[in-house]
Amino acid sequence: MAQPKRISLQEAAGLIQNGDFITFSGFTIWRRPMALVYEMIRQGKKDLHLFEVNGGTHTEVLAGAGSVKIWESCWVGHELYGKLGESIAAGQIDKSIIVEDYSHAHVVARLLAGAYGLPFMPTACAMGTDILNPEYDMLKKAGLRDGSNPKIPTQKYTVAQDPFFGKGDILLMPAANPNWALVYASMAGDDGTLRMNAQTYTDAEAIKAADKVIVVAEEIVPASYLRSEPKMNIASGYEVDYIVEQPWAAHPTGSQGYYDTDGAFIKKFYAASKTKAGYDQWAEEWIFGVKDHAEYLEKLGVTKLESLRANSALGYSTRIKRGTR
Amino acid sequence: MAAREGYAQAGEYKSIDLLAVAAAREVTDGDVVFAGTGLPMLAIMLAQQKSAPNAVCIYEAGSIDGKPIDLPTSVGDARCATNATVAAGLTEAFYGQLHSGSVDLAFLGGAEVDKYGNVNTTVVGDYANPSKRFTGSGGNPDINSLARRTVFIMVQEKRRFKENVDYITSPGWWVKKWPEGKLVPKKEVYGKYFFGGVDAIITDMGVFRFDEDGIMYLDTVHPGFTAEQVKDNCGFELNISRVSGETLPPTYEELDLLYKVVDPEGIFLP
Repeated sequence: MAQPKRISLQEAAGLIQNGDFITFSGFTIWRRPMALVYEMIRQGKKDLHLFEVNGGTHTEVLAGAGSVKIWESCWVGHELYGKLGESIAAGQIDKSIIVEDYSHAHVVARLLAGAYGLPFMPTACAMGTDILNPEYDMLKKAGLRDGSNPKIPTQKYTVAQDPFFGKGDILLMPAANPNWALVYASMAGDDGTLRMNAQTYTDAEAIKAADKVIVVAEEIVPASYLRSEPKMNIASGYEVDYIVEQPWAAHPTGSQGYYDTDGAFIKKFYAASKTKAGYDQWAEEWIFGVKDHAEYLEKLGVTKLESLRANSALGYSTRIKRGTR
Repeated sequence: MAAREGYAQAGEYKSIDLLAVAAAREVTDGDVVFAGTGLPMLAIMLAQQKSAPNAVCIYEAGSIDGKPIDLPTSVGDARCATNATVAAGLTEAFYGQLHSGSVDLAFLGGAEVDKYGNVNTTVVGDYANPSKRFTGSGGNPDINSLARRTVFIMVQEKRRFKENVDYITSPGWWVKKWPEGKLVPKKEVYGKYFFGGVDAIITDMGVFRFDEDGIMYLDTVHPGFTAEQVKDNCGFELNISRVSGETLPPTYEELDLLYKVVDPEGIFLP
């Protein structure tokens, strides 16, 4: 059983080629591999094809940098801290990004099929909507459904009749098998066993669906620690190709049990992302102005990081100010 | 706190309070409720505190029947999983809970709605050449597709209440049958997967419901507004012939629960 290779963040980003088809761990503003995303931008990755169960701050950081060519997903924004995904929106409007919209359950169906080695997954969700409008199949309009790219299905979806119980029409969503799953993990064993604290989102499915998996772990622990409670784990080491250990790698997104989402930081990013100049200035300060994640954390400072640190009992911070009272 | 009884008077509550309260009153005790981010969270948590302690709350990131101590800011928040029965993922939420037909009530938001209850959260204008993009669907159409009842919580504005939305993100009572795109009753498209549909739209001006033909009408008007004013803030010819009365304002107890128990930090209730 092959074990994952320990590499640096710089080496991890270096493995990703321009144009690669990528998916991520996490959910909107939780457990995103931000440190790796920043490093990919430092290395100037271009023309990425993202397949996301949902987008979030990491999507917007990549799109603002001009790294995204195709975005297949259902949602992008920063939750309470920024109501839209400005860079994806701008790219869709000026047509520099091909946006293919699905419903949330549709994208989950595609990833599940990919994870389980099935050609498609049925769903009855979001029928009768414009998500299924043949005129709005943007990959087809761009001539990308001709079968020449094995990662792009020849149809966005199809409708089948239930052959067994006569339940009628149901959608079939084609499998998604990205080149890479870029995963932030709460804990990785030294053998690559993975544990995610709290909700598992679609992390296990992303790992199984992708050809190759890079894990950026908050911490690497002895495998015996994770193996003593196997039902808490979501993947085995043989399913992971590369591991990076990087504390605070998900900042500004949150990591249950370690730190909260940095809402104030995301709010500032969101405000900056409304213009190209604003984004560039932000990126100069937080991505290009620091040489690596250690310097980024240094710049954030101990006071900030301590305010985000999770309460050991609750798994989230009780010290950050979240609302107006 | 001083024990105050009865209904709050005009000026003693904000319109957002009434939105949350009116939505919470839609929950029946024991309902399995699938809620989106924001006001839907306030509504389900208020209902659990007030009248529906046995309602189960599902969030799409995978927490089942969580009992948060602190208000989550989004459905993926660590706080959603506090005291949950299961902390799973989206496969459980969408297939294990929703697709299996378990969800009684969906609480969702929307940017635009039309007279059939179709909701748009995707783009303004032609999708192939949009002038503005919203966040996109998220789980809105999924949850709304397969829940027995959906309650939408929205802002009332003429430009948001349209004859037809620019893009149907989430299905109302008349939806598109592909590949032609002809508007047909939801039941015709969903067949055996038809479990129900949009039951109410709650805005800062009133509560809307749907008639036998799947067309929106005004049911109750919030205190301080007239049916004509609501009609003026609607982009289509709104039926106001079935108005059943005035929406009951929040009680002092409901306001105390909202501000002292559900959202004491002022996250969604500034």
